Amino acid sequence: MVIVVLMLVSGSWLLFHPIPQNTATLRLWTFATVHCDAYKQAVPGFEAQHPGVTVDVELVHGDAITSRLQSAFWASLDVPDLVEVEISQAGAFFRGPVADVGFVDLTDWLKQSGYLDRIVKSRFSPYTSRGRVFGLPHDVHPVMLAYRRDLFERLGIDADKLQTWDDFVHEGRRVTKRGHRYMIQFSDVTSQNLEMLLFQRGGGYFDANGDLLMDNEITVETIKWYIPLVAGSHLIASDPGASDQAFTRAVEDGYILSFICPDWRSRLIERNVPQMAGKMALMPLPAFTRGGRRTSTWGGTMLGITKHCRNKELAWQLAQYLYFDRQQLAARYRETNILSPLKPAWDLPVLREPRPYWSDQPIGKLYAELAEQVPPQYVSPFTSLAKEKLGQVVSACASYYSSHGEEGFEAFVRVRLKQAADDVRRQMERNPF
Amino acid sequence: MTVRVVNSNRYHHWQTRYAPYVFLAPFALIFLTFWLDPLIKSFVLAFSITCGPNVRVFVGLNNFRFLLTDPDFHKAVWNTSVFAMASLFVQLSLSLALALLLNRRFLKGRNLFRLAFFTPNLVGMVFVGLLFSMVFAPLFGLVNQVLHALTNQPTDTNWLFNPKLVMPALVLAALWLYVGFNMIYFLAALQAVDRELYDAAQVDGANMFQQFLHVTLPGIRPVAVVIVVLSTIGSFQLFELAYLMLNNGTRNWPGPDNSGLTIVMYLYQNGFVTGDLGYASAVGWTLALIVMALSLLQIWLSGTWKREA
Repeated sequence: MVIVVLMLVSGSWLLFHPIPQNTATLRLWTFATVHCDAYKQAVPGFEAQHPGVTVDVELVHGDAITSRLQSAFWASLDVPDLVEVEISQAGAFFRGPVADVGFVDLTDWLKQSGYLDRIVKSRFSPYTSRGRVFGLPHDVHPVMLAYRRDLFERLGIDADKLQTWDDFVHEGRRVTKRGHRYMIQFSDVTSQNLEMLLFQRGGGYFDANGDLLMDNEITVETIKWYIPLVAGSHLIASDPGASDQAFTRAVEDGYILSFICPDWRSRLIERNVPQMAGKMALMPLPAFTRGGRRTSTWGGTMLGITKHCRNKELAWQLAQYLYFDRQQLAARYRETNILSPLKPAWDLPVLREPRPYWSDQPIGKLYAELAEQVPPQYVSPFTSLAKEKLGQVVSACASYYSSHGEEGFEAFVRVRLKQAADDVRRQMERNPF
Repeated sequence: MTVRVVNSNRYHHWQTRYAPYVFLAPFALIFLTFWLDPLIKSFVLAFSITCGPNVRVFVGLNNFRFLLTDPDFHKAVWNTSVFAMASLFVQLSLSLALALLLNRRFLKGRNLFRLAFFTPNLVGMVFVGLLFSMVFAPLFGLVNQVLHALTNQPTDTNWLFNPKLVMPALVLAALWLYVGFNMIYFLAALQAVDRELYDAAQVDGANMFQQFLHVTLPGIRPVAVVIVVLSTIGSFQLFELAYLMLNNGTRNWPGPDNSGLTIVMYLYQNGFVTGDLGYASAVGWTLALIVMALSLLQIWLSGTWKREA
C-alpha cells in the first residue's frame, strides 16, 4: 500500500513538474573540466555577437562521453550539436562507410576558410578518415619534461646538459634510490609513456593508411631500450599511478624527480600540486640522437559537429569562435595552458608571460617553440585495442626482464610484440567495413 | 437465493482461474517490453557485425567462432572463473563461519556484530571500488602504510599495477562487500533449523563437528544452494568493482596484462567502446549460457531436484 501511495505521489509530481526541455540553440559536450570552464567564460561573447542564440556547454565525464554519444547516435536521441572527443576514442566514431559517420565532414569548410594551411598539419591526422576531416583539432599538445628544479640542483643535475636520453639515463642511474627516489615517472604496465616515445622516434600504432605498424623495428628497439628503465636492477623509473593523490604525493616527496608533461598537464600540476610553486621547471624532452626531435605528443581533442545539428552553419561559427578567435585563445591559454594548433596564435603576448609556478619560465613560448616538431599520430577504430595490446607487451616484457635480465630478452620482445600485433590484425580482418 | 449462490460460484471460479494471470500481467508486460524484445534483438545481433544501428552485415556463426579463438575472451573467462571460485570457496565459507559464530545465543553484542558485518553492503559496489583503489594505492594507501609500519618495507608497492596481485585485490574487496550479506542468509537458515534435532544428536553422543555435518548442513542446504547459485551468477557478472578499482586514468583499463579483465568488462569494451554490438551480443549470450549451465550443474549436484521429485 505504501509503495502504491509513493508511486502515485511521485508520478503525479513528475507529471506536473516535467523536466524542462533544453531550449538552447546549440548544445556542446566536453569531457574536460578545464575546457568546460573556458568555454563557459567564452560563450557569453558568442551569444552577444548572435542575438537570440543560446549555447549550452555540458560537462560529460570522459568515461561516459563515448558510450553516451554512440548510444545517442544510434537512437537519434539527445544528440548534442557539437562534441569534443578525446583522441584515442575518435577512431571508434569513424568506423563504417564514410556516409554513416555521425560527424559532419569539415574538409570543404576548412579549405575555404584557409584553416587547413594555418593549423599544424599533423593535428588533422587523428581526425581524418579516408581523406575526409571530421574533427577540428583543439590542440597540439607538445610534450616537455617537467622536473623538480630544486632537487635537480641539490643532486647536481644540470638540465641543460640532458640533451639526449643517454645523458638522461646516465644521470638517472646516478641519483635513483630504489624505493625512495626515481629519475622519472614511466609505467611498467601500460603503453602510455612508451607510445609517446614511439611517436618521438617516428613510430606509433598505425600509419596514415590505417595499417598497423606497432610491431615494426622502431617499436622493438624502443621497447628494448625502455624496459630496462622500468624493470631490472638498473631501473630509473617508477609509476605511482595516475590517481591524483598518489601522483601529488610522489611529486611532493621527491619520489619522482621528473615526468612527461604536455601543455595540458602543466595546468593540472599547477592546480593539483600548488605547494610545489617555484620548485618546478620544464625542459624539452631529451632526443634519441643528438640534434634529434626534442618533443612528442600526448593526448588530444577534436571538436565535431554532429549530423543531427539543425544549424550546422551556426555550429561551425561557434567552433571557429571557441577554437580560433585570438581573444578567446588568449583567455583559453590563461585558463588551460593549452597551446592552439593555429600557428598565427603562437605569437600571442600571453604565451611569453613568465610563470612563477614554473620558476618564471615563459612556458607558452617554450611549448610553442616545440610545436612544429610535434609528430603525427594516426588513429583507427582499433587504436584502443592496439594501445591495450601494447600495454600487455610492456607488462609482460617488464616481468620477463625482472626475472631473466638480458638473456633471451630480445627474442621475447619480438614474440610478444608479434602476438599482440596479430591479435589486433585478426580483429581488423573481421571488420568488413 | 439460488441465483446469488450461482453468481458467487461463478465469481469464485473466475477469480480462481484468472487471478494469477492478473497478478502476473504487470511482470509479463514489463518483461515483454524491456526484456524479451532486447533479448531477441541481441540474439539476432550476435550473428552480425555492426557499425551503429544502421549498418549490419550478417556473418552467421563467425562471431562465436572468433570468440572461441579470441585470447582476450579466454583471459576474461579465466579471470572471471578464478573470481567466482574464490567467491564460492572463500567468501561463502567465511559467511557461513561468521553466521555460525553470530548464531550463538550467548555471544554478547551479536546484533552489533551482525550490523557491522552487513554494513559494507549498504554502501554499494561503486563506493567499495573507489575505497579499495585508495586502500591499495602506492605511497599513501592503507595497505602499504601498515606493511611499512610492520616491516619497514618501502610504501611504493603498486598492488593494482601488479598482474599477480590484481585478482587477490579484487577478491579481497569483494569479500569485504559480500561476506556480511551472505552471512545474513545463512543466519536466517540456521535459525530455521529445528533445535530438537541438535538435542537428539547430543543425546546420541554427536560432537560439535558431527552436529554441524549431519544436522546443520542438511538443514541449511536449500538456502545454501540458493546462495551458491546467486553468488556464482553475481561473480560471473562482475564489472563495476573491477572497472572502478582498476581505473588508473586510462579508460576501461583491464589491469596490467589483462589481469582484471572480466567477461562483462570485455562485453562492455566491444559494445560501447569499439562499437561492435554484434560481437558484444555474442559475448553476452555465451556468458548467459555459461551461467545457466553452471547454475543447473550446481542445482543438480545439490540433489534439489531429486528431493522435489
